[in-house]
Amino acid sequence: MTDATQTPQSTPKTRFAKFWDSDFAWSFRHSPVAVIASLVVVVLVLAAIFAPLIAPYNPFDPATLNLMNGFTPPGTPNAFTQETFLLGTDDQGRDVFSTILYGLRISLFVGTAAVLLAMIIGVILGLVAAYFGGWIETFIMRVADVQLTFPAILVAMLIFGIAKGVTPPEYRNEMAIYVLIIAIALSDWVQFARVVRGAALVEKNKEYVQAARLIGRGSFPIMFRHILPNVLSPVLVIATISLALAIIAEATLSFLGVGAPPTQPSLGTLIRIGQGFLFSGEWWILFFPACTLLALALSVNLLGDWLRDALNPKLR
Amino acid sequence: MTLRSSAIGLALLIAGAAQAEEFKWASTTDPQTMDPHAVNSAPVLGFLNNVYEGLVRRGKDMRVEPALAVSWEPIGDGDGWRFNLREGVTFHDGSEFNAQDVLFSYERASGEAADTRSWFAPVSAVNVVDDYTVDFMMTAPNPLFPSSIANWMIMDQGWAEANEAAVPDKETGNFATLNANGTGAFQVTAREPGLRTVLEPFDGWWDTAEHNISSAEFTPIQNPATAVAALLSGDVGMINPVPIQDVSRLQGSDDVEVIQGIEARVIMLGFNHEADALKYTDDAGKPNPFQDARVRQAIAQAVNVDAILATIMRGNAEAASQLVSPAMSGYSRAHADRPTYDVEAAKALLAEAGYGDGFSFGLKCPNDRYLNDEAVCQAVVSMLAQIGITAELDAMPVRNYWPELREDNYDMYLLGWSPGTFDAEHPVRFLVATPNEEKKLGSWNFGGFSNARVDELLPMIQSELDADKRQAMLDEVTGIIQDEHVYVPMYVQPLVWGTRSNVDLTQRPDNFFLLRWVTIN
Repeated sequence: MTDATQTPQSTPKTRFAKFWDSDFAWSFRHSPVAVIASLVVVVLVLAAIFAPLIAPYNPFDPATLNLMNGFTPPGTPNAFTQETFLLGTDDQGRDVFSTILYGLRISLFVGTAAVLLAMIIGVILGLVAAYFGGWIETFIMRVADVQLTFPAILVAMLIFGIAKGVTPPEYRNEMAIYVLIIAIALSDWVQFARVVRGAALVEKNKEYVQAARLIGRGSFPIMFRHILPNVLSPVLVIATISLALAIIAEATLSFLGVGAPPTQPSLGTLIRIGQGFLFSGEWWILFFPACTLLALALSVNLLGDWLRDALNPKLR
Repeated sequence: MTLRSSAIGLALLIAGAAQAEEFKWASTTDPQTMDPHAVNSAPVLGFLNNVYEGLVRRGKDMRVEPALAVSWEPIGDGDGWRFNLREGVTFHDGSEFNAQDVLFSYERASGEAADTRSWFAPVSAVNVVDDYTVDFMMTAPNPLFPSSIANWMIMDQGWAEANEAAVPDKETGNFATLNANGTGAFQVTAREPGLRTVLEPFDGWWDTAEHNISSAEFTPIQNPATAVAALLSGDVGMINPVPIQDVSRLQGSDDVEVIQGIEARVIMLGFNHEADALKYTDDAGKPNPFQDARVRQAIAQAVNVDAILATIMRGNAEAASQLVSPAMSGYSRAHADRPTYDVEAAKALLAEAGYGDGFSFGLKCPNDRYLNDEAVCQAVVSMLAQIGITAELDAMPVRNYWPELREDNYDMYLLGWSPGTFDAEHPVRFLVATPNEEKKLGSWNFGGFSNARVDELLPMIQSELDADKRQAMLDEVTGIIQDEHVYVPMYVQPLVWGTRSNVDLTQRPDNFFLLRWVTIN
């Protein structure tokens, strides 16, 4: 009887304990860098998700802005309106703290969506190339090679430019974010395709794949049900590092003025606006968004590094 | 030995470089073209004033002085003007300047493809009397004509025809877009659009050179912070403009100087008067609210110009009540008041016009043409949001901006206007008169505003010789423009240049920077 009552409680415990005792979790617990980095990421992601609840102002609603609040230094009352802002205001009187939270949303959304899209494209193309070989492989991988010779940011700008030309002007601002995602994804898929192809080339000659082939499974089930799970760990590593790169790419594009529209600033747009006031002493407009971008990109990158080490059997 | 001789060679090279006064300057906007008749905009005309010349030119104090014409006198009783041309003037390629070039340049600059067409609206015919005398016949007496053509530049007929550039082409461009052959103090030796343009003094210039430049290089630097950094580090000798926010910092530096003045340029908001429907946002296709003067007035009252001046312009600009600044002749003192900033009144006007629930539309704005243009547009967006109107801002570089406006791709737009004649008649002719290809009127009246009384008064203003009567008519026109809220004039743009302290130059109120007045100490 006592056994029966304990079982339902102990099952999740054992599962958690199993995870807690696993090599993966052990390596996490014993890497202070990974713990701190993931903490930073979690805090920033939560801040972005709950931005509307945390932020004292809505910087995307122009009706709430008061131009007279412009250029208020952090923590000091404005000369005209006597309002105080935690991290100061920008040239339009937008609260920098609120704008960072909302900008973080855009940066994280664009980064994550772009990496997911790049991953889907890259994984499918890489698997197809490795599995079928022949001219399909040659074609896909040569396209990838050609694209690798261009800097990713140039490819993204090219795609962005074309998209701006073909979208009707009345939808341009609404589409800007999605175009940005597609542009970054299309400039980033090559990494995934090459890694997946490399790993899949090794896997496809292993016995379990041959066994699956023998019992008559089709090409696509073998690719996605059998090979894919075994090549996922390097993909995970690349996805994490790509996330940092995608966030930076979005910031770069927005900094160059081709990304997010000025009325919906992402972190890159904020840095671009702030850069104009570097010489005149309004340092906070640039400093805080730049710090946030730095913390985000660095933490994600460190997590990716740790993940690579943790998932690499040779380093264990 | 070799080491020593190369060291001497190096020393000589350095000494040589120091003597030859190389000058570099930077501005936000690259002149779109080297063709003086293709685009009528200040960056183009200001730049080309170094290369090309007109029959008359403006001096340091904006006064009209002889250039390619030595003198001019009226013909008969206001029938026209006779210009006596300067002899012995050569173009940069060595060919001689004569009356045929004047006639050719008139035809080129007043043709259908030219952007400078409306300058010649009062001209009925141009007659070559002899090689150095040209008569300009007028449709009506026009006392201001000689001073109105200071930016009309003379091009060599033989050169233009030999290079198939006899007609300006602002869309695709031709030989004259990238090359120049004027009579001015400087010739273009290298032109890389958007990157750099190199000018060198023209040895055969007819006038005595006041400058000591051996070569000058222009670089467009779109980012204001980069331009300031370039000036502070000495990479460039002059920047135009200095970002307003950096004025006080630069004033504190010993290496650079800030030269400030009030420019003739009035920054305003324009509307699409002609279109029956809105073109942008979710309201695209709905009836155009800007056809209603009450809506336009609501916008004029919703824009808090004082706030823009206090924050974005940091107190360096003056509010504007009409299309010209008080320093221009013909300014209407009777209409010196702006619409008051009053959110409640603006809301009431919108409700009265049937737009109590607001609407949304597209606002076009340049981002490299006027001081803080994009920031001003963003501020306008948030001010309009406070009366319930949603403006969707699309900011772009000027090279895309003018074509967008010409194709009517806007609901509302930002425009800056500097009257080339320094007279209040100028903006009426370009911005308010009903667009008319044949009469060469209203060529920058993108919105297509039309008012019969303005069209009736304009030719009378142009030919009126009595100053008081002329001013009375200008007052009436200004009154109509204000009552109709054809435009929303916001402020007179300040003129802020930055130079290295060893550079002496002259700042003209039309924001033209002329190399022939530059000396490097």
